[in-house]
Amino acid sequence: MTNRSLPRLGVGLAALVALALAAVPASAGQLKGTFGISAGSYFRMIYPAAAKSKSKYFSNPYSTDADKTYTLVTGGTDGGLRTGVLQPAPTPAFDAKGNSLAGRIIRPTSFTGIDFGLVTLGTAPSISVSAGRLSGQLVGFTAQWNKLSFKQGSSDVSGTYNAKTHAYVLTWTSVISGGPFNGFTGYWHLQGKFVS
Amino acid sequence: MRAGTPRRWATIALAVIGLALVAMPVVFDMFARAPKGAQMIQAFAPFMTNARLNGYHAEMSTIGGAVTDAPKVAQRLYARAPGSAQARFATEYPTFVAFEREWHGIYPDMTGMIDTIQHNLGNYDAVAALPSFTLFPWFFVIPGVIVLALLGLGIMRRARWRSVRWALVALGLALVLAPAVFQMFSRAPKGGRMMTAFKTIETSGRVARIQGYFGEIAAGQGAVALELIPALRRSGESAAEISTDYPGLTTFDAQWVHILNDMTPMIGAMSDNVANYQAVAALPPFALFPWFFVLPGLLVGGVAAGGGLRRLRRARDESSSDVLSSSTEGVI
Repeated sequence: MTNRSLPRLGVGLAALVALALAAVPASAGQLKGTFGISAGSYFRMIYPAAAKSKSKYFSNPYSTDADKTYTLVTGGTDGGLRTGVLQPAPTPAFDAKGNSLAGRIIRPTSFTGIDFGLVTLGTAPSISVSAGRLSGQLVGFTAQWNKLSFKQGSSDVSGTYNAKTHAYVLTWTSVISGGPFNGFTGYWHLQGKFVS
Repeated sequence: MRAGTPRRWATIALAVIGLALVAMPVVFDMFARAPKGAQMIQAFAPFMTNARLNGYHAEMSTIGGAVTDAPKVAQRLYARAPGSAQARFATEYPTFVAFEREWHGIYPDMTGMIDTIQHNLGNYDAVAALPSFTLFPWFFVIPGVIVLALLGLGIMRRARWRSVRWALVALGLALVLAPAVFQMFSRAPKGGRMMTAFKTIETSGRVARIQGYFGEIAAGQGAVALELIPALRRSGESAAEISTDYPGLTTFDAQWVHILNDMTPMIGAMSDNVANYQAVAALPPFALFPWFFVLPGLLVGGVAAGGGLRRLRRARDESSSDVLSSSTEGVI
């Protein structure tokens, strides 16, 4: 290596370091706490194409929204979805009619006349924020209804987070695999405030 | 050749039969498909009873009762209104009317499907009474391995060929008798008939259609519970009067959770077993299954027995020739 090439190498390395620093977000970090579930949070169920339904979305007559394809949800006894820990189902998980008794994440909500609840099973949720953008996984997110459990999690949730107001929006989709709703897609939209 | 040693043609034939028995489950992918059949039979078990299927028929009638009552409801609510009561009803309750319209297609399709399933209860019971599908590949592999092992023993220890031969004859006989013992000649064709009948039921398209029906019926029930019954109450009828005057409507509402509890697992079982059904359907026809035992059994038994007879005759001939030779020598 000549004396002339050393300064060039230095400049090159400095440029690489600058690029790497630019790629690292200023405020990246895990959000450990509770994502409170407030008004405006909802769930929609999308028919599989093969069902040839007239509507794209399953209509839940018991929804409290004017548009019955939106099933509105509100925070349960824990206020919402907790990261870093599991929120499992109680024992028993259902009453005799199949209503879910899981009331920690959301207040059990009627879906076609039977209440569904939410639990997290297996892997604890983890969400991180980077430059106001949320990302993470909710693979253990599970809906319980009519004495059945439906995996509704995702390894790729996304959303927004306001560090000043702690307001957040999280959205993801999850295709139901197996069971009576095989092939349906759940669309989840949670919003509220994050409390660490 | 000494009496009791295996003949070349018998050795080759038995080796081919043994290998064919071992290879058959691999050729037909039985190790993957047969357990799926076992899963399907097990998953259908809770639904394959007359009581359960009669219950589904009753539930269809219960849902239909609400549709039957609809004109009376329209008359009650809009008899004094200008224009046709039905037309006004349709305008005010589009969700129920949409369900009513769909129901005329849903009812025959669902009851037809339940009828088909019910007509095949005996066929299902026959298949369920067979040994578990999971064991099926082993019914071929194990006899095949035994044939090959006995053959190997017979070749390596020629003195034992006579015993080996009779063991092979016994094995052949067991294979011939196995279908009779398991009543395969009557049960397997019934399984075939069930598979044919379920061909139009266990498809992802049919399951998706039923999922669509579920949405339509749920919307109809919601309209009954949240719109029609409250409207009748507002019209001045008491809960007791509504129950008396519109039994179809109120029974549907009262039975809805039970219907959901009952129907949802059936849709789940249908959905979860589409792939299992396809796997079983890809196996050779059920009616042939007994012959998969009988034919190899006859071949194993026949070759083992036949291979020995000729050998014995030759041995006898050789023995007679020795006696004749020594007698002649004595004369000379």
